[in-house]
This record gives sequence, structure tokens and C-alpha cells, in this order.
Amino acid sequence: MRLYESVFIARQDITTTQVETMADEFSEIITSAGGSIKKREYWGLRALAYRIKKNRKGHYVMFNIETGPEALKEYERLMGLNEDVLRFLNIRIEEVEDSPSIMMQVKTDRPQRSGRDDVDRGERNSNSEFSSSTSANEKSED
Amino acid sequence: MTQLEIKREAVRKPFNRRRKACPFSGPNAPKIDFKDTKLLVRYTSERGKIVPSRISAVSAKKQRELATAIKRSRFLALMPYVTT
Repeated sequence: MRLYESVFIARQDITTTQVETMADEFSEIITSAGGSIKKREYWGLRALAYRIKKNRKGHYVMFNIETGPEALKEYERLMGLNEDVLRFLNIRIEEVEDSPSIMMQVKTDRPQRSGRDDVDRGERNSNSEFSSSTSANEKSED
Repeated sequence: MTQLEIKREAVRKPFNRRRKACPFSGPNAPKIDFKDTKLLVRYTSERGKIVPSRISAVSAKKQRELATAIKRSRFLALMPYVTT
């Protein structure tokens, strides 16, 4: 048994629930072969850095898997056959991190960070200091 | 003799820059991970090229790690191959 990290990108025009069922199917392959899913993350619909098969966005799903090589091979084969999967990457890792990955942290940190940026901008030109601070407040309420 | 030495010192001083330490070595260095695009973009040029280690002062070992992380990140469309 080895540890792997697996990320796949699903087409943009399928729904979130469809992505979840897809992820369930893939994890089923691993668990039925005696492996286990250590961690599962849905990163949401992200913009791709470049177009893949005419898609500009994609649903990202990440797994941390403990499995043998045979099950992984089957898992990769089925991913390649699935037309809703734009791309996948499976790499070997040494250990599974307990905390959620950076991708999940970025989402929660974003409102704070944008607020801080606004404050910085306010300091540079003092006239807009008041307006920028109010906009930061609005964002934090969201 | 002494005068010559003083002159040489004066010439050498502006070029006597301290070697920067590797940003990925040391106690609280960030972990290189293909998912951490915010960290990785700092080691790419505006066009999306990987910055050579002689400029970024990353050690050879970490530069290899960094390069694979950037390439993985590009493959998953988290980072661009080229920006024009």
C-alpha cells in the first residue's frame, strides 16, 4: 500500500452534484480494491489558466489515497475513459497532511486579504482613506 | 603599496554584495507544493518562465523540487505555460 495524491478536473458544464457522484464512483474503485480514501477535497469551479478542450473553467477534486498499484492503474484507466474528466494527475506522496490543503485555505483567507490591500491603498493616497475603509467593511460583512 | 590597497578596497566595495540565502532552506521555510500557486508564481517571470536559481538564490536541490512543482501546477492549469 502506498500513498498517492490525485487531482482531477471535470468539465465546466456539469453540475456540482454530478461532480460529487463522479468522485464517489472513483473512490468506489479504490475502496473496492482494498484501498482507502484518506482525504477528499472539492476545490470548486475554478478558472483554468489556459483552455483545455474548449473549456475555460473546471471542477477540481482532490483525493489522498492509500492503495496498491493495481487499483491505481484501474482508477487511471477509468479516468482516461470518462469524457467528463478533462485532466488528472496522480503523484506519490510520503505522508498525508491532516490539515486541509492550501487550495481550501485560499478561499477562506480571501476576504481578509482584500481588506488588508484596501487599507494599504488608503495609506498611500490619504483622500480615499475613508471610502476604502468602508469598502473593506462591506467585504467583511459578506 | 598601502595607497594601492586602499584604492582597490574602494573599487571592490560596491560589488561586495552578500550572497542571499536560499528561501526554501532554514527553519520556517515554506514547503514546495504544486497546489500553492501563490508561492510558485513568485519564482516565474512575467511571461510564465521559471526564474533561474542564480537570480532567485534558490539552492540547486530546491530548484529541482520547485521546477517539478511548477510543471505539475501548469499541467493542472493552475498556472499558465505562457502569458502573452
